[in-house]
Amino acid sequence: MSPPIRYDLLLVGGSASNLILAHRLLDLAAKSGLPLTVALVEKSAQFGAHIVSGALTKTHILEKVFPDFKTNGFPIEGYVTHSHLSVLGSEERWDLPHAIVPKGFRKEGHAILTLSHAIRWLAEQLQVKAKALTNVVLDVFPGFAAQEILYAGERVAGVRVSASGDVSEDAIFAELTCFGDKGFLSKDLVERFALRPNPQLWSVGIKEVWEVDLDCQGVVWHTLGYPILDGTFSGGFVYGLGHKKLAIGLVISLDSKNPNLNPQLRLQQFKAHPWIQELIQGGRLLKYGAAVIPEGGYYSLPTRFGVEGALLLGDALGVLDAASLSGLDKSMETGYIAAELLHGAFVDRNFEDLAERYKRAVMDGFIGQELYASRHFRRAFLENDRLLGEYLPAVCQSVDQGHPWLGSLKFGLGKPIQRSTETFQALGLILGRISGDKLFRYTPCHENIEPAFTQPAVAVSTQARPETILSRPDAVFFAAPRYHEGNRHIEEFDPQTCRRCIAIYDRLGKPTPCIADCTAEVHRIDEAGGVRVHGMSLENCIQCRTCEIVCPSVNLRVNPTYEGSGPDFYGL
Amino acid sequence: MKIFVLIKQVPDQGAKAGINPDGTIDRAKAKRMLNPFDRYALEAALHARRLYGGTVTAISMGPPPAIEILYEAIAHGVDQAILLSDRRLAASDTLATAYALYCTVRYAGAFDLVFCGLQTTDGDTAQVGPQLAERLQVPQITYCEKFEIDHSEIVARRVIEGGSQTVRCPLPAVVTVANSAPRLAYKTLRGARRVQQLQRDEAERSRVIRTVNLDDIGADPVRCGLKGSPTIVAATEKVGEIGGNCTLYQGKPLQQLVDDVLAAQVIAPELVKR
Ligand SMILES: Cc1cc2nc3c(=O)[nH]c(=O)nc-3n(C[C@H](O)[C@H](O)[C@H](O)COP(=O)(O)OP(=O)(O)OC[C@H]3O[C@@H](n4cnc5c(N)ncnc54)[C@H](O)[C@@H]3O)c2cc1C
Ligand SMILES: Cc1cc2nc3c(=O)[nH]c(=O)nc-3n(C[C@H](O)[C@H](O)[C@H](O)COP(=O)(O)OP(=O)(O)OC[C@H]3O[C@@H](n4cnc5c(N)ncnc54)[C@H](O)[C@@H]3O)c2cc1C
Ligand code: SF4
Ligand code: SF4
Repeated sequence: MSPPIRYDLLLVGGSASNLILAHRLLDLAAKSGLPLTVALVEKSAQFGAHIVSGALTKTHILEKVFPDFKTNGFPIEGYVTHSHLSVLGSEERWDLPHAIVPKGFRKEGHAILTLSHAIRWLAEQLQVKAKALTNVVLDVFPGFAAQEILYAGERVAGVRVSASGDVSEDAIFAELTCFGDKGFLSKDLVERFALRPNPQLWSVGIKEVWEVDLDCQGVVWHTLGYPILDGTFSGGFVYGLGHKKLAIGLVISLDSKNPNLNPQLRLQQFKAHPWIQELIQGGRLLKYGAAVIPEGGYYSLPTRFGVEGALLLGDALGVLDAASLSGLDKSMETGYIAAELLHGAFVDRNFEDLAERYKRAVMDGFIGQELYASRHFRRAFLENDRLLGEYLPAVCQSVDQGHPWLGSLKFGLGKPIQRSTETFQALGLILGRISGDKLFRYTPCHENIEPAFTQPAVAVSTQARPETILSRPDAVFFAAPRYHEGNRHIEEFDPQTCRRCIAIYDRLGKPTPCIADCTAEVHRIDEAGGVRVHGMSLENCIQCRTCEIVCPSVNLRVNPTYEGSGPDFYGL
Repeated sequence: MKIFVLIKQVPDQGAKAGINPDGTIDRAKAKRMLNPFDRYALEAALHARRLYGGTVTAISMGPPPAIEILYEAIAHGVDQAILLSDRRLAASDTLATAYALYCTVRYAGAFDLVFCGLQTTDGDTAQVGPQLAERLQVPQITYCEKFEIDHSEIVARRVIEGGSQTVRCPLPAVVTVANSAPRLAYKTLRGARRVQQLQRDEAERSRVIRTVNLDDIGADPVRCGLKGSPTIVAATEKVGEIGGNCTLYQGKPLQQLVDDVLAAQVIAPELVKR
């Protein structure tokens, strides 16, 4: 038998967080001469190909690792020159006066990234950096997904990259494993050690990139309202990238009552808005993709940020701030902090209290401050469901009627949200001006679903040019999923559960949540001998994990794809 | 068991290959890949090692960039590799190629099995395997899709028109593997790691991947390259390109697609049921 495959450090996920970690750690090792072996596994065949993001970001962390990032070839689409927060009616758009835009959505000066490009650059440069160091061994394994966490007692000992075959050939062992995997596999760790007493809230972010005639570089809009007026926490974005590209997307929270969120359809309705129709006039779609976003923030943070032998980073940890849709700089910062601590730990060969020290450093820094400041943000909407369910639609309507102020005021007087003290309470929560640290409990996303929920009809502009609107199967084409023969990466636990679920939704005349909310035409109903059963076209899957989160019976598990299969998000 | 597998780097079919004025392929310009047919040969070789033990050596003849496919073979789990690279091999036809590969195999030593792909996607002749067997004076089994070793004999199922045929012959033998044989599994973790080790460690690399020229393998230069190639390319003709005239029905109603297809009269009217 060959000796086990062993490294000092194992990074799971070629993520923003892990790549910053590796860069920083190599820089430190270059100075200290620390001998170090590092393995990096990434499930996509090419770095960045499974990553979709906005992405607007502050560059302060990037700058700590690359002081010359503006000139060293790091791919940047541009910098935000004009940032708008807008309310959409179905025909009109109202840009909020800058003075009342919450701080988190004033994005002037932020860098605009195509994250998949940035990730590939970071991965390539990392390999160049490693080559120049004689004390560091870096092996990268694109196309290898971590499929199972290996333990030695209660210590994380490494991962298995394939569930078939011989363990001695499939396992990577390490002194320390860092999970920057958006929870794909580390959710098992969180569960095993019961690290998250308050569940994570997830949303799905869905995005198209267009090449258009207009040059909007540097102009960004965040939108509220149309086309999601059913009370679901959500928002849209349009970012002007370089080379006349436009990113158009929606972020839709999955803790909705609505069992049929239809993210891909919603994105088409968003694009049907006359304003976006004008922006994409004469353009063509380049890419489509989706990914989930952890929105729980402060209250969803795990009790420990790692266990013996492992740390959680970025979205896997859950450091995104929903109040400003910013996860990237915080993910990078977790990598940066981890690198500093790991370097010391490897120099001293002392890993004691590492997870505690890591947690302290993260919470004492800007991440802790930001998350704490906006800790009530989601709560405000959860506690006051009329904010999104009634107030927002009324404002949207008045936007269409051309007098947003008047309309919102009228509504406010006629039907105050709640007693005025509660209105202030809600605003206070959103703006982070209310203290009070009573732990707020979230309900897991799927438990919010009400099968009989009736969604209000949305008036969709009929003027949209048909060639700009894509059916879901057509959209899949632009996410370019490719799978190897024999692929089966989604597990359905119990077919009976699905049959019961299908019966419930059939009676209501609705598709099941997995069918409606899939971003890529995977779930379907098959007739087998007169019985309606759940089936899947796995070859379409783009690995977003939405179905797993919205299945009301927790009857699905989306495993990381293997053999480098999956979507090609390069360009998103 | 000593197993050899012959693999060739070919121009990537997805990318456009350049054609020289004399009709030969401009290999320097073309994007390169492992001949897809050789993936089945690789899998067969690795399968034989899994079942019967031993070592697998990948052999390729080609210009220096062909080392890429040898790395690929190592990532899949091959033990070692030989690259035959020599300017004097340029413009070899199948006779000259088979001769040079024969000399390489002889140089590599005794063997039990040599696996070849069925054919390549560039030369496409399917001649090299059989010619090699003739030179080596060992039995050959072509179009093999399944095999086992039964006491120093190989029992193999070959694809033939309309069915299959099971044959047996003593080892050593040359086997060309059909593309209906089991597909090549993904790279192995250990293999992918080994490649990166070799890329870092030059001494180890030259030990595991031996690069040889005609003199090393004792081949007669006169029988190689243009000189050793009796085949003459009389003319090559460009047969035009497929595609270009494609309408994407994205965002249009299905009925329009149906109407247009009917209007184009590409379906015989009697087949159309309204
Ligand atoms: C549509 C959308 C818009 C967004 N907009 C913004 C924005 O404007 N600004 C902002 O700051 N943030 C934004 N975010 C959030 C931001 O993208 C994330 O917070 C950030 O990318 C998280 O980084 P990470 O390091 O946790 O992991 P990621 O960068 O997401 O990387 C995870 C990597 O791990 C890999 N992986 C997963 N599981 C495994 C496994 N088991 N084995 C091997 N590899 C694995 C994945 O393939 C992927 O490459 C947006 C997100 C979305 C979806
Ligand atoms: C007249 C003529 C002139 C040619 N001139 C040139 C030229 O100028 N430049 C040029 O680059 N090519 C030239 N070729 C192409 C070259 O001769 C063939 O590509 C080569 O001989 C292999 O034949 P094939 O590709 O048809 O292989 P096939 O016989 O179809 O291959 C069968 C199997 O043999 C093995 N094999 C074949 N070639 C190799 C190899 N090189 N290394 C390892 N294993 C191998 C593989 O296992 C392969 O699957 C010429 C061909 C002809 C007929
Ligand atoms: S997977 Fe979940 S949502 Fe889909 S049919 Fe089964 S139980 Fe229902
Ligand atoms: S099947 Fe699930 S993971 Fe795959 S695209 Fe659909 S919702 Fe996303």
